[in-house]
Amino acid sequence: MTDTVQAPTLTPPTRRSRGYAAQVAREVLLRWGARVGLAWIGILAAVAVFAPFLASSHPWLILEEGNWSSPVLRHLTPTDVTLMAGFCTGLVLLFLRLSLPRKLLILLGVLVVAGGISAVTVSPPKLVIHEQYREAEAAGQYDWVLRAPIPYSPKDYLRDFGDTGMEPPLADDLRRHWLGTEENGADVLSRMVHASRIALAIGFIATGIALVIGVIVGGLMGYFSGIVDMIGMRIVEIFEAIPTLFLLLTFVAFFGRSLYMMMIIIGITSWSGYARYVRAEFLKLREQDYVQAAVACGLPLRSVLFRHMLPNGVAPILVAASFGVASAILAEATLSFLGLGLVDDPSWGQMLNQAVQSSSFNWWMAAFPGGAIFLTVFAYNLVGESLRDALDPYLKKKA
Amino acid sequence: MLLEVRNLQTHLQAGGATVKAVDDVSFGIERGETFCLVGESGSGKSVTALSVIQLLPRGISDHPGGQILFQERLADGSHRTVDMLDLPETERRRIRGARMSMIFQEPMTSLNPVFTVGEQIGEVLRLHRPELSEAEIRERTIEALAQVQIPHPAERADEFPHRLSGGQRQRVMIAMAMACEPDLLIADEPTTALDVTVQAEILRLMRELQDRNGMAILFITHDFGVVARMGHRLGVMRLGKLVEEGTVRQVLRRPEHPYTRQLIDALPENLSRRREAARGADGAAGQQAPEAVPLVRLRDLQIHFPVRKGLMRRVVDHVRAVDGVSLDIPKGQVMALVGESGCGKTTLGRAIIRLLEPTGGRILFAGEDITRLPAKGMKPYRRRMQIIFQDPMSSLNPRLTVAATLTEPMAVHGIGKDRDERLALAARVLEQVQLPAESLWRYPHEFSGGQRQRIGIARALVLDPAFIVCDEVTSALDVSVQAEVLQILGRLTRERGLTLLFITHNIGVVEYLADTMAVMYQGRVVEQGEARRICRAPEHEYTRKLLSAVPRVVLD
Repeated sequence: MTDTVQAPTLTPPTRRSRGYAAQVAREVLLRWGARVGLAWIGILAAVAVFAPFLASSHPWLILEEGNWSSPVLRHLTPTDVTLMAGFCTGLVLLFLRLSLPRKLLILLGVLVVAGGISAVTVSPPKLVIHEQYREAEAAGQYDWVLRAPIPYSPKDYLRDFGDTGMEPPLADDLRRHWLGTEENGADVLSRMVHASRIALAIGFIATGIALVIGVIVGGLMGYFSGIVDMIGMRIVEIFEAIPTLFLLLTFVAFFGRSLYMMMIIIGITSWSGYARYVRAEFLKLREQDYVQAAVACGLPLRSVLFRHMLPNGVAPILVAASFGVASAILAEATLSFLGLGLVDDPSWGQMLNQAVQSSSFNWWMAAFPGGAIFLTVFAYNLVGESLRDALDPYLKKKA
Repeated sequence: MLLEVRNLQTHLQAGGATVKAVDDVSFGIERGETFCLVGESGSGKSVTALSVIQLLPRGISDHPGGQILFQERLADGSHRTVDMLDLPETERRRIRGARMSMIFQEPMTSLNPVFTVGEQIGEVLRLHRPELSEAEIRERTIEALAQVQIPHPAERADEFPHRLSGGQRQRVMIAMAMACEPDLLIADEPTTALDVTVQAEILRLMRELQDRNGMAILFITHDFGVVARMGHRLGVMRLGKLVEEGTVRQVLRRPEHPYTRQLIDALPENLSRRREAARGADGAAGQQAPEAVPLVRLRDLQIHFPVRKGLMRRVVDHVRAVDGVSLDIPKGQVMALVGESGCGKTTLGRAIIRLLEPTGGRILFAGEDITRLPAKGMKPYRRRMQIIFQDPMSSLNPRLTVAATLTEPMAVHGIGKDRDERLALAARVLEQVQLPAESLWRYPHEFSGGQRQRIGIARALVLDPAFIVCDEVTSALDVSVQAEVLQILGRLTRERGLTLLFITHNIGVVEYLADTMAVMYQGRVVEQGEARRICRAPEHEYTRKLLSAVPRVVLD
């Protein structure tokens, strides 16, 4: 081999030509539905991550007798810190030119490291007294205070104002609650901001669990077919016969309320759809010439399955997954609405529940959390719809 | 003049850009004449045909200029000349199907599967001949089917399309087009999807019908052999322009435009003619028969696919795709495997490199029995035997760069020390198939069909195999691209001493490339031997039928 041949080819050119994934991403972003949907999800994610800064009874900065201090930082939990580190890393990675698997690896690494460090170093006070800063400010102890945009924590029941209870938006000039208060007197907007975490987490984690199981089971069914396929399909049918909501109700009744349990149950009951999609794709892909060529080159099964088949069959699964996220959010909201969700932690569905609980109809408890659920589910459906349009070759030909 | 196309322009909108699909094309067709439009894919020949009958989707096409003058025969027998471009849609619809009709390339999809054949033909009559009674329509339908020589037309009329073979469906399409006795029949590659023997029958049928009814045919094709059989006059299209027009004999013998000359020179039969000439000049150096040691030997190979039926998926029968084939593929030679679709040639090719499990018999590669080797045992052989596929669109993984496609097999088989060395090797192989080294960093969708096919060849070559199965590698390509790919393959075979099993249905390609050939028919090899001998003096009856059906350009 001569060096003259090597010289021009050893390094890839700086402008790498667009891969299929980049093309699809561009095509998705050309659609208005996807832009609006992604924008809403992005805003929601940012709000969820920075919720402790957005809505908190603890001021951002106080100047007390010449000393600066930041109560909101002192009250951050390890989870908050990890989430913020992850979000910022993700934002930076978005603009870096790296391959997708490498980006994911870096993100995962940062999350693990930040989680570890913050678990050791960050320790918020066990006892949280929400009203201490308000009272101190009223007493004129501070020279200067910078408060959060929504100066109420989600579990701040405003005990210092007496027994407040439900109030419509902007009822009291003294305490401004833009979206009113709920039955315990906590600020609705603040609770909604913090509840967005649960909505996002349950959607992503439940769907993630379902995806992993579905892709593995479906992939094996599709590639091996025959007896594996037959057994796999029966398992899929069994799981399709399980009513998720009733299973959730049963588990909640027996084992108490836990967000993680809900995620896992929604995850392990909803993978069957993905398994069907993956199986169908793999059955089709197995006959494709490039898969046959990969086999003819003697490539190992791992490479044939995950390098040559999965990336080509992943598109319809992504579409299904974006609808799956929406339905997982709805499932949690339904459960909370029925009063079987989380006890004290804020959740959109639980707030909806309060709209009809007392004798009168509290419109603000219905409109705002309901609107948030609607917009989020709608956003995911918009993204799913655009993704499908971008991937569907038949529709593309017609356009 | 029945049809006169004057300075036709057709523009198509594709994703914001305007494509001049047909650019200032003029030609005319007399009654009873066949005019062939020839060109490579994308030359605008089909768009011209669709413009004439005004079937292009309205939203994305327009005609900035030109005239399509058609002499419409009126009910009272008189004629009037209309411009198809100016005509209101209602009048166009009256002409379409009655005076001017069209048959399409793909007989499998051009018939509606939920109606019987008779209903579909009857509908045309009912629309254009409202005065006919139901009984008359039925009678006419059967008559039309009989006209296209479908056996038992009265019974066939009540069958659904899926019961008919491809050739029969194309006959039904012709019957439907002919039901109202049109003056002009537009045939858009009507035989491209058919086997050669069926193609020969359909072409003969069309000529007969033309003689009987005196209709004109606008025949779209890419195959000069078909032109030589069908055409009176010929137009060659390139990039939306008509570059040459004349009688078939004149254009084929003395092409004036350089593009036409290039197309005709690229025909496989002409390639071999030139090679013969070159050989003659060299003397008999290349003619010495290489020692005929078989590299691959097949002994009574059988591949059966089970047919399952019923609730329990019981095996009720077997499709004998390959039914007892014994074959010796001599080392360092090209063996052509010829046969029509469904004869089992592709199945055989895939079974030899163990992509399909044989049911019985033995496969010997370089003397070793590889018929039942497990995947692990096959690995050393995977390196020595490779395959190139027919469809360049589906044979490359769209998610991987060319570099990844080429270097991954090398890494698995331990060729090259590191990534850089493998990339350099891949670049060298690309050079051998005449692609620039920058191609390494591109994705398959950035290449044309011919370029992708060359990447497919490169993928087979990176492992430096001894034996390659070429499964119809040129049948999806245009003539000139086919010529390039054939030349590359021929050169590589000589340089590397490769053994090829060249599966094809194109006899011209066989003559150009093959040393020996085997003819397959219904899962069996009916004749095998030296390619030249079989092409000149076929012994088996089927081979004779196959060879006589091949449309050829007879130049002398």
